[in-house]
Amino acid sequence: MTFGEYIREHREALKSQDRRFSVRQVAQRIGVEPAYLSKIERGDVAPPSEAKIRALAEELDEDPDVLLAMAGKVSSDLQEIIRKRPQLFADLIRQLKSAPDHAILRIARDVRDGDW
Amino acid sequence: MIELLNNQLTYRFPEVHQKAGCSIDFQRTLRIPDDNREYPLPPGLGRFPVEHVDDFANKLPDTWRTHGGVFIPMYQSEALWINFSGDYPCAIKIAAGKINAVSGEPWSNGLSADPQDYAVIPEQPWLDGFNVSEDFIRQFVAMPLGEGFTAEEQITGTAEHGGLQIIVYPMKHDVYVEHFERTVQADMDYLDMPMFSRTVCESAAPDMGLAPGGLMRQEIYEDEYGIDAWDQDNGFRCFVHLANSAQYLAITGHKPPHTPPTANDYTSAGLPWFDYYSDAKALSGSDTLGKLTSVAAKVIEKGKGLLPDNEPVHPKTVKIISKGNVVRDGEF
Repeated sequence: MTFGEYIREHREALKSQDRRFSVRQVAQRIGVEPAYLSKIERGDVAPPSEAKIRALAEELDEDPDVLLAMAGKVSSDLQEIIRKRPQLFADLIRQLKSAPDHAILRIARDVRDGDW
Repeated sequence: MIELLNNQLTYRFPEVHQKAGCSIDFQRTLRIPDDNREYPLPPGLGRFPVEHVDDFANKLPDTWRTHGGVFIPMYQSEALWINFSGDYPCAIKIAAGKINAVSGEPWSNGLSADPQDYAVIPEQPWLDGFNVSEDFIRQFVAMPLGEGFTAEEQITGTAEHGGLQIIVYPMKHDVYVEHFERTVQADMDYLDMPMFSRTVCESAAPDMGLAPGGLMRQEIYEDEYGIDAWDQDNGFRCFVHLANSAQYLAITGHKPPHTPPTANDYTSAGLPWFDYYSDAKALSGSDTLGKLTSVAAKVIEKGKGLLPDNEPVHPKTVKIISKGNVVRDGEF
């Protein structure tokens, strides 16, 4: 599913419950023209900027990192982290490419259990 | 794995089931009067701050570094409650000073069915104290180790461990699928249960432990799934140390939360207390825990006068809460 299709599907699902999720109103709230949002949803134009994707994520209650990834972007804070130690993080990500979720989760800092 | 996020311990068991996990936080609360009258549930006044032991290792006792885990600040005689959140069923065993708060038995890693020594979430939304009799607990109250107040010292005669110890076992994958994924939507009340915040804390440096305080109406529910439902090969433990609030500032550089209101101030302000109702069957109390001497009685026994701020109160506003509506937040 493309970025545009995903946005349309989720916006339409919300609209079926609440009319405030029409193209016009969502576009207005994230600060773009309705015609532009419509083109994004149809895939006629490339996905918008990181800031607009973040605004859309908040509006549609979606994870911004997921939407950014679907749009082929990496969030600026992650870019900054990678830029500081590019080789290390490139190696790490490649190593983890095929690791199962639980192995990746273990890399996040956990509360250490000791001897008691 | 256990992560510390937003002052909450988040347990995840992705190797058991994608949804397997729960969260535990420690709620600040007022100390109910310790006068052998029965009180309803006091409010949650927000989470205690929780810190990694490893982040302040050079300022903490060696034993804390050995134990690992986390620590929270508590004032002497301050109370707390432990708040459980999550939809995936888990068995949770809680001990204070390595004395099981449900059974009164010394700590062991596994679960016991007879007597049941654990609580089951989401059926059990919180735990406020020691299981002293059916339908009643004695509130967890922080006291310095070495003065004879804590449950650990009263039962073992030694002040060795202090703190809180927690182990969580998720429901086995197959049992979860059988109960919750084949019986579609059968019990969505449980699954939709919103999170609420109740907090529990521990002390240390010098170590603090939990002593039995006032008497509160609270049931600890029987395990309706049976002990074989729990995946005891995949449990995670956490030692929660209790840091004396004065020393917490010196250790972390952060101010501890202000002292909670007294029960009298809170009640006089017309603020709500709570009662929780569930159809689930309650466990009987522990004989060992039922014989403990409460903090106020111990103060008298020691010839130290009377426990301060311990006047009886008469809650006029008691909100009834039940499954699906388990918010117990207070404001003050």
